[in-house]
Amino acid sequence: MKVTLAMKPAARSFIPIEAESIVPKNFLDGTDLLVWRGNRELRLDEVFSVSVEGDADRAEDVEVVLSGETSRLKRVGEYMDGGRITILGNIGMHCGNFMSGGTIEVHGNADGWLGREMAGGTIVCRGDAADYCASGYRGGRKGMTGGTVEVFGRAGDFLAESIAGGTVTVHGNAGDMAGAEMRGGTLVVHGDCRRPGANMKEGSCYVYGTAQGMLPTFRKIGTVQHEGHTLIRFAGDIANRGKGNLFVKDYEYLD
Amino acid sequence: MIVKDAVCPFCGCLCDDIEVEVEDDRVVAVTNACELGTTKFMGEKRMKNPILRDGDRWRDITYDEAVQYAADMLLSAERPLLYGWSGTHGEAQCVGVHMAELVRGVIDNTSSVCHGPSILAIQEVGHPGCTLGVVKNRADLVIYWGSNPIDAHPRHLSRYTRYAEGFFLENAFRDRKVIVVDIRKTETANIADEFVRIKPGGDYAVLSALRAIVQGKTDTIPRTVAGVTREQLVRVANLCKNAKFGAVYFGLGLTMTRGKYKNIRNAIELVSELSRHTKFTISAMRGHYNVYGSNEVNTWMTGYPFGIDYSRGIAFYNPGETTAVDILARKECDAALIVGSDPAAHFPRKCLEHLADIPVVQLDPYPNATTAFCNVQIPVAVTGIDAEGTAYRMDGVPIRTRKVLSTDYLSDREVLSRMCALMQEALER
Repeated sequence: MKVTLAMKPAARSFIPIEAESIVPKNFLDGTDLLVWRGNRELRLDEVFSVSVEGDADRAEDVEVVLSGETSRLKRVGEYMDGGRITILGNIGMHCGNFMSGGTIEVHGNADGWLGREMAGGTIVCRGDAADYCASGYRGGRKGMTGGTVEVFGRAGDFLAESIAGGTVTVHGNAGDMAGAEMRGGTLVVHGDCRRPGANMKEGSCYVYGTAQGMLPTFRKIGTVQHEGHTLIRFAGDIANRGKGNLFVKDYEYLD
Repeated sequence: MIVKDAVCPFCGCLCDDIEVEVEDDRVVAVTNACELGTTKFMGEKRMKNPILRDGDRWRDITYDEAVQYAADMLLSAERPLLYGWSGTHGEAQCVGVHMAELVRGVIDNTSSVCHGPSILAIQEVGHPGCTLGVVKNRADLVIYWGSNPIDAHPRHLSRYTRYAEGFFLENAFRDRKVIVVDIRKTETANIADEFVRIKPGGDYAVLSALRAIVQGKTDTIPRTVAGVTREQLVRVANLCKNAKFGAVYFGLGLTMTRGKYKNIRNAIELVSELSRHTKFTISAMRGHYNVYGSNEVNTWMTGYPFGIDYSRGIAFYNPGETTAVDILARKECDAALIVGSDPAAHFPRKCLEHLADIPVVQLDPYPNATTAFCNVQIPVAVTGIDAEGTAYRMDGVPIRTRKVLSTDYLSDREVLSRMCALMQEALER
């Protein structure tokens, strides 16, 4: 079953729309769903032109395609556990929050908190991801615990904050504090980033570019070969327990 | 008439030993207050009555008309923003939270642009803090990190630290050491026993290095960290470990620079580490006299300290998304009520561009930068001068501010209560 949701142009387009109801499994029972614009509850067809092709009786066979000006659409795919969501443009904050299965593909850029606290499944972002990609919630102890996030563009600050499991790969550069408070899982940044692995406890963080503003509390161990890259291995963050692994191609201190 | 023990409604110190001389319903002299407090008490040129923007002119309107305008504006909005709150008393803040819930709007206070990051850090790792009196009487080491009390909290030094007597210190001035950490040599740095000068953006690295040194892992630390030599870091770590009671006070130099709440988290974790060796505490140098109160009131009423979004009928909190600067910059609100703050003087230009596009009502005794963005401004009594109410000091101690003179102005609480009642009536109809 393929559900196509084309966003209608709205007069007051700056108010965000919260659409946690856009999850593949919800469309098994039809398209009679509700979304919120600010403090007003709206029917799905007031915001989108909805069309459905074919049918399905399990979430895995449902694909939801979103098109139009979707950059203000928040919480799409929240608690998703199967099926597929394809976003042809940009997507708003909290896409794929808490997801445990299925696939989300964003062709444009994703706003903050992409895949926040996700436990399983796959998110692919063809553009850039903003701050807090694959991170946790405010004050929470764990960010992402499982699954895969792959960003082909750049990532913002606090990438994979408090990550405890799963894999995050960013093909471009990442911002400040990538993998802060890391306690498990794997983070791979193909480009440069600032201050990776701040206060990390466990887990592995790879930076194939330069680690700028490298923190002084990582102990150099030696060099290793990894996926065709020669990387310098550090143990840290020794200000914390120091059981994490940080691998960087190059680094510079703020000395 | 002289009013003794008045409470100064300027900064988070909430000094409660002020003497105010009043003649003919005007403050004519202020004793004990610092320059900042004195200026506030002596303040003049208040707005006389509510004003409404009428084309390119201002028209005088009555309180009833102004309150009705605000109520209508909030009720018709899809996502109203209720911002400010740090410059008013707790009772008014309570009404504000009720209003936000009633109209399903977003309520945020000025901590989202000052010590909000401190609260985020506290939510992650807790807050080993204490009251100012404890520091005054016990601390033999005080660290000011990214704060400059001589300019911003002038009496903090004389009432609680550098120049204060201490019950458990024989000669407080000699026995109490002061360390200042900053990116430039401030006035406060001039009176410090040790000044640590950090390269801008290097606080996090220095805090991490200090944590490692306190744990005895000095070998790993490079020779310099963000412009600070390893020798100085070791000296500072030893000063801390050898103190009987240490207190860290941090300001916006730590909360609003690169890393933001992670800086504070690192500072708190340094304090926890030091508490394995001696007694150490850490507290924020809060700015507005009742910004701490706005966090308290919001927390007990909604569960969250600032940036609370009631759009969906339940409280949702996510700084970076539900905070005023982010909402305005992303044009995510369609009306704004500003109480007890002046966002136009402090927010980025992008935020003000949106503020100029939407209806805005402000409650403030004086014309200020935000007045230029208002559709309606309602003058109110000043808490601590012609209105009374509860405020929270920077260490979380509630102090009832006093009225030193009487005027005809309504207080924030009275104006907001009328607004709230009108909205309740309208919703019931």
